[in-house]
Amino acid sequence: MFGSYRLRDLSVEVRTLRIHVERDNGSFRYVRSLDDSKVEKVLFEDAEVYVNPVEPVNLPKKITNFLYISFRRPVLLAPGEAATFYLTFPIEIGVILAKEDVYEDIDIFSFVRPKYALYGEPKGGVIGRYWESDVFTRVPELDPLREGILELRATNLSNRWCEVSKAVFDVYDMKIYYNEHTVSSIAEMKVQSQRVADTSFINKPLFDGMRRAIELYTTRALPIFVTKFTMEWGV
Amino acid sequence: MIELINWVIKAIEYEVYEGVTIRDLIVVFLILLIALLIAKIIAMSLRRSLAEKMRKDQLEILVKFVYAVVMLIAIVTVTPILGLNLTGLLVAGGIAGIVIGFASQKVVSNLLSGLFLIAERPVKIGDQIVVGNIAGFVEDMNVMSTIVRTYDGLYVRIPNETLFTSNITNPVANAARRFEYTISIRYSDDAEKAIQIIKNVIEAHPFALKLPPPRVFVDSLGDSGVNIIARIWAPSSEWMDVKMDLLWKIKVELEKNGIQIPFPQRVVWFGKELEDPGKV
Repeated sequence: MFGSYRLRDLSVEVRTLRIHVERDNGSFRYVRSLDDSKVEKVLFEDAEVYVNPVEPVNLPKKITNFLYISFRRPVLLAPGEAATFYLTFPIEIGVILAKEDVYEDIDIFSFVRPKYALYGEPKGGVIGRYWESDVFTRVPELDPLREGILELRATNLSNRWCEVSKAVFDVYDMKIYYNEHTVSSIAEMKVQSQRVADTSFINKPLFDGMRRAIELYTTRALPIFVTKFTMEWGV
Repeated sequence: MIELINWVIKAIEYEVYEGVTIRDLIVVFLILLIALLIAKIIAMSLRRSLAEKMRKDQLEILVKFVYAVVMLIAIVTVTPILGLNLTGLLVAGGIAGIVIGFASQKVVSNLLSGLFLIAERPVKIGDQIVVGNIAGFVEDMNVMSTIVRTYDGLYVRIPNETLFTSNITNPVANAARRFEYTISIRYSDDAEKAIQIIKNVIEAHPFALKLPPPRVFVDSLGDSGVNIIARIWAPSSEWMDVKMDLLWKIKVELEKNGIQIPFPQRVVWFGKELEDPGKV
């Protein structure tokens, strides 16, 4: 289902999802239905369309740019230890129009129900898209329309044992890659202490040959502003 | 090319006032910029290194204090470059303050309040605030006054002195806020089942926050029914919509499961038993 299409040829039918484009006197009518939701839009020009996973913070509307992953089982890291394990993240699918390197999302939908949570205190904390994930020690097999694989490279920089039970990410510069069977992203977490950690994304595919998704949150033009989030309210 | 270089050299040596050249202004700007960067780096380092050793509010005060000291040092450093004598400024400022204070107390009071409001930033443009009996959105913040658009679309100008000396409630200053419902059910209904249904409805709403967790519990045994309280956190930007949305969903879901909202009722006892109770 993920990939690029010409608008006039766009037609997707997967489970309860139906996307099709109707031609109407020189214009195009984009129609998407999924369960009870339906979206219709009119376009006047044919264009390239990408249907791919996007940063999962857009539904039901954009109120945050943070992703909050809660681990169903906490991970214990020894002092100085570096460990790589796998989490899951929710999939939101974007329908993105492209014209001369200008991208515009015209529709975003998901097969999973969104939920939000507060990380930290009401004053100073952040609202994040909440997701509960199992912790895997090897790459899990998942339904790519519902869940993506997040490879987390965690390093305990402190001189104490640290129990990590959550990770919060700023989705700016989240890099998502996909192929027919898998949606993935890679992130790192530098644990400074039981209360403080830095998280950021790494621009690499999980497997060779994966295609990079068109992202919605990439407005940082200056490379000196590294998109890193400091978790100050515990890990 | 050489002409251009000569022109630039001449330009930066241009005297703006009393021996202060454009070069001095550039130096001042650079010093302040470097000080700002140093202050930010120190603040970030303090936050990281002391996060576990100090309370968050105390740490914030310390960070602000260190930040202010660094900036003060920078300002004291640059004033001689600008040809300013701090002692003279303080004396002149003191005298001017007295004169202006007597002449225009209200105006200066509003002005100073505006500056303090800008520095303290209890509200910012776009926030919703409640000041006295005025509630609405902050449209603009000037040095002398703050403009509020009330929820019914009225334009209200609040002098900064009034704003500064009033209790300001900013319902969206924090990331999340809580609201609550009191839901009554009949004595004959199963309260535990009702609580579970309410929790399920809350869980299904995307903006009813998972954390902090919602609390649903029997609060009191009322005259007509059992009162259940539901306390729910929502993002500050969404709380009103969530509040409006959830209550009806809870009511519908309770009724779907046979749980009714009770009507006010009163049990009447007769002193003398009726001869035919069916004829009441």
